[in-house]
Amino acid sequence: MNLCVHCDEKILIAVFNDQDLDHNEPFCCSGCMTVFNVINFKGLEKYYEIKKQSAIFKRRSPAENKFQKFSYLDNKEFLDDYSYENLNNRKTMEFYLEGIHCLACLWLIEKLPEYLDDVEQCRLDMQRSVATVSLKNNGLFSNVARELNNLGYKPHPLKRNQSIHDLKILEERKMLLKIGIAGAAAGNIMLYAVSIYAGADGLYAKNFNLLSIAFALPVLLYSATPFYQNAWNAIRTRTLSIDIPISLALIIGAISGLYNQFMGINENFFDSLTALVFLLLLSRYFLNKIQEEGLTANDLNFFYEGNSVLKKVDDQFLEIHPQFLKVGDIIKVSTNEMIPADGVIIEGETLINNSLLTGESRPQNVGINENVFSGTINLTNAILIKIENVKENSRVGKILKQIESGWIQKSPIVDLTNKISKYFIAAVFMLATILFITFYSQGKTKIALERSFTLLIVTCPCALALATPLTLTRTLSRASRIGIIIKNNEVVEKLSSIKTVLLDKTGTLTYGNLKINHFKIFTNPNYPIFEVISSLEIYSTHPVATALKEFSFERGARTTHSVDNYKELMGTGVCGEIGNHFYEIKNSKIFEDNKCIAEFTLEDHIRHDSLASVGELKSLGLTVKMISGDQKSIAESVALLAGIDKENVSSEMTPENKLLMIEKNPNALMVGDGANDAMALSRSYVSVAVLGALDISLKASDIYLTTPGISHVANLITISRETMKVVKRNLVLSLIYNSVSVYAAFNGTITPLVAAIIMPISSLTVLASTMIGTKKLNARLKTGSA
Amino acid sequence: MEVITILIPLAILLALSFIVGFIWMTMKGQYDDMETPALRMLIEDEKISPRKNIISTKEKK
Repeated sequence: MNLCVHCDEKILIAVFNDQDLDHNEPFCCSGCMTVFNVINFKGLEKYYEIKKQSAIFKRRSPAENKFQKFSYLDNKEFLDDYSYENLNNRKTMEFYLEGIHCLACLWLIEKLPEYLDDVEQCRLDMQRSVATVSLKNNGLFSNVARELNNLGYKPHPLKRNQSIHDLKILEERKMLLKIGIAGAAAGNIMLYAVSIYAGADGLYAKNFNLLSIAFALPVLLYSATPFYQNAWNAIRTRTLSIDIPISLALIIGAISGLYNQFMGINENFFDSLTALVFLLLLSRYFLNKIQEEGLTANDLNFFYEGNSVLKKVDDQFLEIHPQFLKVGDIIKVSTNEMIPADGVIIEGETLINNSLLTGESRPQNVGINENVFSGTINLTNAILIKIENVKENSRVGKILKQIESGWIQKSPIVDLTNKISKYFIAAVFMLATILFITFYSQGKTKIALERSFTLLIVTCPCALALATPLTLTRTLSRASRIGIIIKNNEVVEKLSSIKTVLLDKTGTLTYGNLKINHFKIFTNPNYPIFEVISSLEIYSTHPVATALKEFSFERGARTTHSVDNYKELMGTGVCGEIGNHFYEIKNSKIFEDNKCIAEFTLEDHIRHDSLASVGELKSLGLTVKMISGDQKSIAESVALLAGIDKENVSSEMTPENKLLMIEKNPNALMVGDGANDAMALSRSYVSVAVLGALDISLKASDIYLTTPGISHVANLITISRETMKVVKRNLVLSLIYNSVSVYAAFNGTITPLVAAIIMPISSLTVLASTMIGTKKLNARLKTGSA
Repeated sequence: MEVITILIPLAILLALSFIVGFIWMTMKGQYDDMETPALRMLIEDEKISPRKNIISTKEKK
């Protein structure tokens, strides 16, 4: 199969380059060809060289090339709202770019100042797909947007609240500083601590301790401030937070260390204290990073609004940004454009692709006085709409709000280890206090101090706090190597307790596009019927047309004839003349001069691996259910093929109904791809988005599969169950070690020095157990997926 | 062992210089975006040379 030079999609009907006759390479669509020519024209052909070498790919899709003026970007009203001045006093705006996928895109976008005179500087953030563009004095943002659009990256201006943004950046930098300082101090203190444990005494010990204190002070007074703040807030609101025992440990440790120094006792815990602060800050930082990856609902609006609309003002149509649409405005929506707001059709009739809202694969016919919703796509004819609901009042806007609140609801979960170490720290301090008081009241101050210190040193929760994140992180990286992207640690724990799997139909169990099922020819079998079909349907973007084109290509149709009097028949098909014959393709039949010459049926094909995957899930003891927006008959026929029991099928589900379904199945794993699943994904216990899912559902889900279909879902469950086994084993090991050592410290069988040696050994044991455990898992996965 | 009286202040000085460097880099914003710069450095930094006359979007109008 030939691949498109530009986007690497497989080519159904090749479009050949008329401007570059030397090479004559095939393209999948005219959009890709146009972009290819623009890139070559500007001398940017190195893009393709870089693309070939670059191994990092996100999703790619054919370039959409539709001319847009973007004149609204130069509106003063708009500029006031969206642009800001950068440090060099240049007008700057941020754009979210669709279609950023690899190193070559980075190169192409950041070269912008070299081929566009308006631009002073351009920086791209790959992770967020956000380009920051600053202009020269007379530059216009509309020129920038047009250029980006020409290159196949559809730009969406982002609104940025400057003060909030600056504050966020400063916050993040301060967090990094705290981590850096804690790490540096902990490392240096470790050097002194080791020599003291190894037997340094006299003047050395005294000076080393002084140096430890000097390094520990910035950590305890600056780096550790988030813990004190959280602990104080928790105390004020009378809630229990892990930060309370942590702060307590830090304060008591610091005071007793200083007291010892003052009393001339060469023992302190600044090494453990600083290491604790460093590790805790680090893990929190990474967790924050992961959680921030979801764009806010505000950022996502443009997926539903499109990025410019034609508003009717005094018999003229002006291009404006959807943000400025108001209820009562009249707008024009052309073919293949997204409807930017909820409204009523006042002129024209057309086919609407509703799949974003309902998940239904077949287009819907709408006419005058009928409702249309934002986020749906106008397929066949231009229409005029009177707007009734905008932004958060639209149906999609409400769904987005719910998704956002789902994110907020989901994040604050303290995982198992955190819970245990919270009690652990509290218990250790209680025991140490008891120990100290017991001996102190007997007048044995030296023994009291020595034994309680031994206890504090030997029972470091490091093994506990380190081993679990390490196991989970290793699992995450292993999973990503076989194509499962898990967005956070907690999910692994939750996955192991899954009872039910809810599967979306379209795009998850099935391929998600219509295909020709049966094709019957009533005339001479040698008749070039497929060439006729591809000639007629070449201009149509209707899903049925796409299916027919694909089918014809597979049957060998390569050439197309010119068509006269071509017409799209509203909601039924197309017609036109080729040579002396009049052809019609409508209602699943093909007519030549009003005589039926062929007949076909359409079906959304089930993926070849769905049956096996569902079987695997069932063998793991899970209940598999299907939820679909499609009609009952279609849903049930797919369920039958996938091996899902009839009573577990729910059809004709709206996004709102899917949400209810999620709430009825608390320990369920939800697998889906469409935006109509996004709300359910964001609210479910654990959610998986499959390859090809819309951006919105990727953001809303916990896990993303980079291979199509659900074949990896069973793997995912196995991985999580095995991982939790390792985690639990580590917890048991570390608890046994800790209780034995507490007992020994109580008895005075071990000295502080011995304790300082045993502690790291215990950590190593747990780490080794982790490594061995995850290695086994890896071996199992290899045999499983091969 | 007297050498330690020189070595330790030296080690501390070294550590401090790293910490100061780290603070400076962080406040300059070098850690704001951790992904893109790693990719950016892979690209050869050479000027592009247009093959044909550049028609900018302005002239198209």
